[in-house]
Amino acid sequence: MIKLENISFDHCLKCTVCTIYCPVAKVTHLFPGPKQSGPDAERLRIKNPELVDASLKYCSNCKRCEIACPSGVQIASIIQEAKWNYVRKGMFRPRDFFMSRTDLVGSIATRVSTIANFVLGLSLVKFFMEIILKIPMKSVFPSYASGTFVNKFSRLRKSQAPYANRVTYFHGCFVNYNNHRLGRDLVRVLNAMNIGIDITDEKCCGVPLIANGYLEKAKKNGIYNIRSLSRMQRANGGKIVSTSSSCSYALKHEYSHFLKLDNSAIYDDVEYITKFLFDQFEAGNMPAMNPVPLRVAYHSPCHLERLGGVIYTIDILKRIPGLDLVILHSECCGIAGTYGFKKEYYQISKRIGSQLFQLIEHVNPEFVVTDCETCSLQIESNTEYRVLHPVNLLAMALESMPEA
Amino acid sequence: MAYDCLIIGGGLAGLTCGIKCLSEGLRTVIISSGMNALHFSSGSIDVFGYTRSKEPVNRPFDYIDMYTKERPDHPYAKMGSAGVREAIDFIVPQIARENLSLVTNGDENHFHVTGIGTLKPTYLSQPSVYNERIRAAWENREPIAVLNFEGYRDYYAEMAAEQLKKQPLFQGVDIFVDSIRLPYYAPTEKNLLEFRSIDLARVFDTEKYLPRIAGEIVKKAGNARIVCLPAFIGIRDYETIHRKLEEMTGRLIYEVPSLPPSILGMRLDNALKSRFAALGGEFSIGDTVNGGEIVSGLLDHVHTCNYGATRHRSKYYVLASGSFFSDGLRSEFNKITEPILGLTVNASQKRSEWYSEHFFDEASHPFLGYGVETNARLNPFDASGSPVENLFCAGALLCGYDPIREASGGGVAIATGYKAAREIIGLCRGARA
Repeated sequence: MIKLENISFDHCLKCTVCTIYCPVAKVTHLFPGPKQSGPDAERLRIKNPELVDASLKYCSNCKRCEIACPSGVQIASIIQEAKWNYVRKGMFRPRDFFMSRTDLVGSIATRVSTIANFVLGLSLVKFFMEIILKIPMKSVFPSYASGTFVNKFSRLRKSQAPYANRVTYFHGCFVNYNNHRLGRDLVRVLNAMNIGIDITDEKCCGVPLIANGYLEKAKKNGIYNIRSLSRMQRANGGKIVSTSSSCSYALKHEYSHFLKLDNSAIYDDVEYITKFLFDQFEAGNMPAMNPVPLRVAYHSPCHLERLGGVIYTIDILKRIPGLDLVILHSECCGIAGTYGFKKEYYQISKRIGSQLFQLIEHVNPEFVVTDCETCSLQIESNTEYRVLHPVNLLAMALESMPEA
Repeated sequence: MAYDCLIIGGGLAGLTCGIKCLSEGLRTVIISSGMNALHFSSGSIDVFGYTRSKEPVNRPFDYIDMYTKERPDHPYAKMGSAGVREAIDFIVPQIARENLSLVTNGDENHFHVTGIGTLKPTYLSQPSVYNERIRAAWENREPIAVLNFEGYRDYYAEMAAEQLKKQPLFQGVDIFVDSIRLPYYAPTEKNLLEFRSIDLARVFDTEKYLPRIAGEIVKKAGNARIVCLPAFIGIRDYETIHRKLEEMTGRLIYEVPSLPPSILGMRLDNALKSRFAALGGEFSIGDTVNGGEIVSGLLDHVHTCNYGATRHRSKYYVLASGSFFSDGLRSEFNKITEPILGLTVNASQKRSEWYSEHFFDEASHPFLGYGVETNARLNPFDASGSPVENLFCAGALLCGYDPIREASGGGVAIATGYKAAREIIGLCRGARA
């Protein structure tokens, strides 16, 4: 029986533009491309689910096909849905299980961060990880911070009390377990704009769970987050901001469109941070900034492109005085969350990114800037350059810098 | 918002407009919904190809002068042939900066060969489609080999050759068909039958297999001076690859467009977008502008699908959202509308009048001439009929011309995109002074 609400594949004109812009199809013929795997094959799968084929697994869900489509077909969603409808349920997949539980692994690793980082760096451990978990030896893992951002923030909580204007910060796993600096910088920047921060109980947004096929778990997390965030939002009356482009995409769009959750309680209030800052700046609430005389290259993450949010980040960066900003041609970095950490996709992921790495080397900036945590991991482990978040740069602009 | 110019639509018109605005130092953003129609175009740019009686136009600029006197509602009438020429003289060197040259036949049109082997008059072409040497070889009636890759399904060499033989220009010329084989292409597990033009273009882009491909061509081209290949000789640095292939084979390599995606069109798209980015333009492609508010004759803001209530503001706006295919115009049962701002559209509201009975009607279809009405400065009219003075319209959504019957789509896009930019630049300067 064909569900009539799900016939966006019928709008496909077979123009093949999506396949041109598919980063995976560009580097390997193992993936026949979004047109064939999505709208073309969907017709067959509807008639006979057995016609699903294994090449679907090569889709990294970067969503560039949806960006390119002139006819509004939800190609990536069609592929994601098809992909996970046919995974043998109940089979334990150790690597995918641990990789997608960023919050579970993070909460353990941050307790013993020194040991965890040491152990994960050992060649012997990496060797067994490659053999048993099929995580390539060459992968560079994000290092775990000592303790969680949530714990650190509890000490700051009092300092946030005086601010009448407030936001709820969805920090996400990466800030909580790996990158405290980004969280701290956000507190600085927003405080300088007279805005206080609240955080609330949250679970992983669900992006890695969706990518690894744990849709039920992703839904559970989604329901939890919607409830928790909306409670906090009602209490403080402000927006819900995230410093991760993919978390914000999930909270807003994956929850409603893909997981079919009712996120209307938070939908209008969830914003990726640069969009929030843009609105504040436009309304005249802009902190005094000192020149940041750095040459930086900006890489736009796929999911932020899909959201149409790149123009806000660029606007924010352009407002930082003294910043020499080069905007890189839009290319996928290849990591796609957990995709590039898997042995079977490792080479593909590197080949996808090579175009971007070359661009960066050609520009030779002092820093690369991007909105996405896994893009920054990929760029840092494949080039010589360190990567900053736009909020890091804003925080730098608040410090008094020596005259250049 | 700090934008001087916000352009809705990232096709030929929007990008031309954006590049001109940037070159004059305006802060410019393009919001484009998906990829543009250049991906389905021939990659040549027509200015004016056919007269009303379907005769090929020889000198397009002279013809524009004549035609617009009779038809003052044609978009070309708003800038005249001098304005069209100025726009083309601006954009061609901009595209050349990104390693793509566009060749003309002086002031005259030339022909390009279509995928089915017919000839179409056009004004600007890439050098693998028209140049002096190709013209000389045609005039000398040199033999032509029409080659295809064995197994490639998106191009029909036999059909193209049969049609070509029927063209008066090629009467009695030795035209023959053959196929070449793609040399072993390393990282492929794919059947050649599944190759699309883009896959082959990427093989060429590596340059790695050029000598092998050249060897294959020489083997099959016999005494032919001109070798027609389906168009996929690379994208980014195609001119180098084309030149190398000509040197290696000692033949003129002529490109014929195959089924979409069109590599010839993608080269134009790629060059224009690179130029736009190099000049500091901001380009948003994941989101769609779906509305805006006109307050007392001025467009106040626009908003997008993904950001609901958020207002995007700019000093000036350009609407270059394309025609029916790109959803710049929309047909409902008995109504043709401009869906973003509800601007006044010049169209019959009777469905039965939209089309001619025969698909290939000589007189074309009336709906192709429908579109948004504007004044001489390209300002459209809002629902109440008053002009919107900070909004300019450009490209395929304009009314008053038939891009198919006239073969004028590319020229209108460039000329109106450029004209919109000129108007905005003038207004910005006026405001500053």
